[in-house]
Amino acid sequence: MMGSQPFETLVGAHHAEIYRYLRRVTARPVEAEDLSQETFLRAYRAYRTLGPDANVRAWLFTIATNLSRNHFRSEKRRRVAHQAASVESREADPEGPEDEALFGEARTLVDSTIRKLPLKQRLAFIMRKIHDLDYEAIGHSLDCSAESARAHVFQALRKIRLGLNGHELPPTRDVDSAFSMERPR
Amino acid sequence: MTRKPRACVEIEHDLIAAASGDAQPSAARRVEHHIHACGACRGEFHRYREIEGVVHTLRRAPAASEGEAHARAGLESRLADLRSRLVSYRVFPSPLGHILIARSEHGVSLVEYLQGRSDVNSSRLGRMTGVELQEDGAEIETFYRELLEYLRGDRTRLEWPLDLRLARSDFHRAVLRATTAIPYGAVTSYAGIAAEIGRPSATRAVAQALRWNPLPIVVPCHRIIGTAGTLTGYSGDKLGLKQRLLAVEGIQAKGQRSDSRVVRDTLYHYDRNDQHEYCLPTCGDIARRPIGPVTLLATRELAASLGLVPCTSCRPDLHPLAA
Repeated sequence: MMGSQPFETLVGAHHAEIYRYLRRVTARPVEAEDLSQETFLRAYRAYRTLGPDANVRAWLFTIATNLSRNHFRSEKRRRVAHQAASVESREADPEGPEDEALFGEARTLVDSTIRKLPLKQRLAFIMRKIHDLDYEAIGHSLDCSAESARAHVFQALRKIRLGLNGHELPPTRDVDSAFSMERPR
Repeated sequence: MTRKPRACVEIEHDLIAAASGDAQPSAARRVEHHIHACGACRGEFHRYREIEGVVHTLRRAPAASEGEAHARAGLESRLADLRSRLVSYRVFPSPLGHILIARSEHGVSLVEYLQGRSDVNSSRLGRMTGVELQEDGAEIETFYRELLEYLRGDRTRLEWPLDLRLARSDFHRAVLRATTAIPYGAVTSYAGIAAEIGRPSATRAVAQALRWNPLPIVVPCHRIIGTAGTLTGYSGDKLGLKQRLLAVEGIQAKGQRSDSRVVRDTLYHYDRNDQHEYCLPTCGDIARRPIGPVTLLATRELAASLGLVPCTSCRPDLHPLAA
């Protein structure tokens, strides 16, 4: 049973990623801190009942996602998050000057579009594109099918694409390499 | 503005999928074929590829941060607090009425007879402050199954991890530990436990401590009786349960309520002043000596397992008591 692995191991393995996920989902660091702590406290309560083959990482994302959705259910918080979006998007930029020069403006644009997405699309997009979760797990987290999860991500991509109309983006690898089925590294 | 050709509309989904590396091979081939011929869609495809590139840089942000370290430190402290407070429990039916079993991270912390009631709110656990209760399944179920086996007489040991934090004092804990050491099928007295923990004059305090035993059955306070063999008391007013638990272990008691006493002439006797010899109850005046210094034993096997040898005068090995 999973509970035989100490809970500390789970915290050590996943805390940074869950925090980063929530940091991107929420408007302010204090919200991410609170939600990530709450995620792991809930996980601790349920840990002993977790099956031996459970995907712990996907399970933690589900808890974090549920907590986020509850958190944003309050209309007021959503408004605050929305207002914070333009301010926050610049903050989350740790890259060096070269990267900044190449991607800075585009990234800011993409980031702020992500922050303005409807919640389900935003959560699905971040889980898929930033954290590489599969659609099955994302669907489970969002209480929908894998197909709906995929549709949320595609809707998000469409909106990001529209948001970039009239903006130049840095060049990427050529068309042919896209068909190698590899995700860009 | 011209409308997008139908073929382009239809392929859009696959195009986004292909640009994200998310498409099935057949869809990817369709897209490759289409954008070879359609300049507009080729442009779109490039655009989505560029977005992938930008999103990829977002993966590294926000990097490991002070915020994360701060959140982690806060989590450690909240976890430590939760761990010390979290108690999971279940209420089960049993031949002795409803029984509540509760455990903390350290072990089983409470076994409570609920008798007619079955809800946690009216239990001792429900009235406790500073604990977070959680109804739990599988883990406590194991304890329950063992307890049922025990009550049926199919199990003689409950080797559970115990959490004695509900004990009220070090003295209380010492009494509970000494009581836990009394083996299945053996009986001693409150005075015997008092002597065992080095407080020979504290007989009444021992009795009081066991009256508040948070772990009846597993800390076998039913094996502790008065020096003259009376059952004395059990978990408030549940002498009947005490009699029943002793009967499971092969120790009979007779008489009604406060008069009920262990039938000594059906039990082997061991006086700790003797040299590791156990006796028949008819050996000299042993059956009149106080319980405490004398331990009563249900079987010769138990005596042997305690390292005792048959008395050379009364020869319990040659004249065993009727089972």
